[in-house]
Amino acid sequence: MNPEVHMPGWEWYYVAMYFFIAGISAGAYFIGTLAELFGDDRHREISRTGFYIAFPLILLTPPLLIADLGRPERFWHLLFHAKSGIPYMNFQSPLSVGSWALLLFGTMAFLSFLDNLVSEGKLQSAPFAKAYSRIPRKWYAVVGSIAGFFVAGYTGVILNITARPFWAATNPLVGALFIASAASSGAAAIYLVMAWRKKLTDPGLPGFDLFDRLAKILELFLAVAMVVLAGKYAAPLMKGITAVMFWGGAVLLGIVLPLAAGWYATRTAGSPIPAERLATVLAVLVLVGSVLLRISMVHAGQVQ
Amino acid sequence: MAKGMFVDTSICTGCKACQVACKEWNALPHEPGHFRFDPVEKRPVAVNFTGDSYDNTGALGATDWRRVRFIEQFSEDRSRGRWLFSSDSCKHCNDAGCLNACPTGAIVRTGLGNVFIQQDVCIGCKYCIPSCPYGVISLSEATGTVHKCTLCNDRIHNGLGTACAKACPTGSISFGEVAELRKAADKRLAQLKSLGHAEANIYGYKEAGGLNVFYLFLDRPQVYGQTESVVVPQKRLPVSSAVAIAGALALGGAALVSFRERGSRETDEEVKK
Repeated sequence: MNPEVHMPGWEWYYVAMYFFIAGISAGAYFIGTLAELFGDDRHREISRTGFYIAFPLILLTPPLLIADLGRPERFWHLLFHAKSGIPYMNFQSPLSVGSWALLLFGTMAFLSFLDNLVSEGKLQSAPFAKAYSRIPRKWYAVVGSIAGFFVAGYTGVILNITARPFWAATNPLVGALFIASAASSGAAAIYLVMAWRKKLTDPGLPGFDLFDRLAKILELFLAVAMVVLAGKYAAPLMKGITAVMFWGGAVLLGIVLPLAAGWYATRTAGSPIPAERLATVLAVLVLVGSVLLRISMVHAGQVQ
Repeated sequence: MAKGMFVDTSICTGCKACQVACKEWNALPHEPGHFRFDPVEKRPVAVNFTGDSYDNTGALGATDWRRVRFIEQFSEDRSRGRWLFSSDSCKHCNDAGCLNACPTGAIVRTGLGNVFIQQDVCIGCKYCIPSCPYGVISLSEATGTVHKCTLCNDRIHNGLGTACAKACPTGSISFGEVAELRKAADKRLAQLKSLGHAEANIYGYKEAGGLNVFYLFLDRPQVYGQTESVVVPQKRLPVSSAVAIAGALALGGAALVSFRERGSRETDEEVKK
């Protein structure tokens, strides 16, 4: 590990926020798809909410990415080769493949969003529906979910595929960690939107709650394994504001506390769903933990 | 045939002529961070004292494409000691982390083997910066793009050597065909070994697929700030991707268990009620 390797200077308010928002969007989308594929009618509201969340959030992300560029007006070079104008992809660069995955994911999220509006009767018919109406919506939800998993995960892989000591030492776990965090924050967003739309009587919630817990357990395992794996190179996560954000925010508020509170509520009330207000607070904490995870990971690779 | 440079640090005197020649030929500005406006003097004053011997750059970057390193090796009472010098730059790796990472195709390898950043293509995404295992590239705030040594791309494609090699008064930096340079390097190493420099070694034959700019050191590469176990970051990509996919599959499995099994059991209970 060479300490002379330069820091990219990625700003947390652009790059980490992009990781966070894209994570929620992708998480909500693949949860929506998985609920639709593996669940039944009772999970309809969960998957519908997931599709409602995914598209508006992913729309927020390109401005964040473009704003962090040194030459924002050239952003299209990511997709088309600047000299020849033909589509361009560098398979060795997760940033390059990820740009295409983001475009694909955004397109599929848009189609699913329109589907939702039509099926709820808010739109008579979707624009351009003729072009794709013959494709069963599960198909493009699956394609969009694969792209969604990619969008959630490549942001972590990007960090691992560098020579910065902390990011290199946490290889190969950050991609999987960000996917687990995307699932957890996507679930939290779905819960909050369902609470806001007063749909919490949904019969699909117990299964959803179980999935959420499994995702958090995976996330906790990966976060701890990452620190153990990095050994002495995990030092940036152990001191100052980064330690507070990672251990206090991402791990404690974002994973441990919601898991423990959910488990406690199950034990005492006998219902697998924690009381509504508590669950709302916990969902907000999960989102706070998720953004702090991204900020601390982006920051820890950029301190000496 | 790949062109490159052989830097024989054993005959470097630390004169920094290479740094000056590089700045002049490539019209590189001063490093903005090295100056600040003095309100009393009413002019920019240099604040670039690194505190590290005579090193005045501190690092390679967008405006410093050459850096002479100064290593002082002295005994406690300073009765014995020596200076080591090494003129450092982009190594034009054959397996270049920056080139691999570039998402726009802005970083290319020319027919002469040098790694070149096309300024009109670079978008300033900054991904190449942490992808270089040697800390060579950085962003210029002035252009919004990244810069590094081009191996004097304009000169070498017109039959000239690099500016730094041309300026070097001791022949420490030599420019030419990499194969030829390697022969000269091996010969020089054998000579130094026979003179009792047991620690002498050549750095850059196997690192990062072979470095087109390579070095002869009198001490371990680490002493000169060169990492001894270089990993080109993209070597980690297969495993990192595989683990991410495994994570996604694990979540898929969790969803299958949660939405199918759990769901049907709840239904059964509801039916019983």
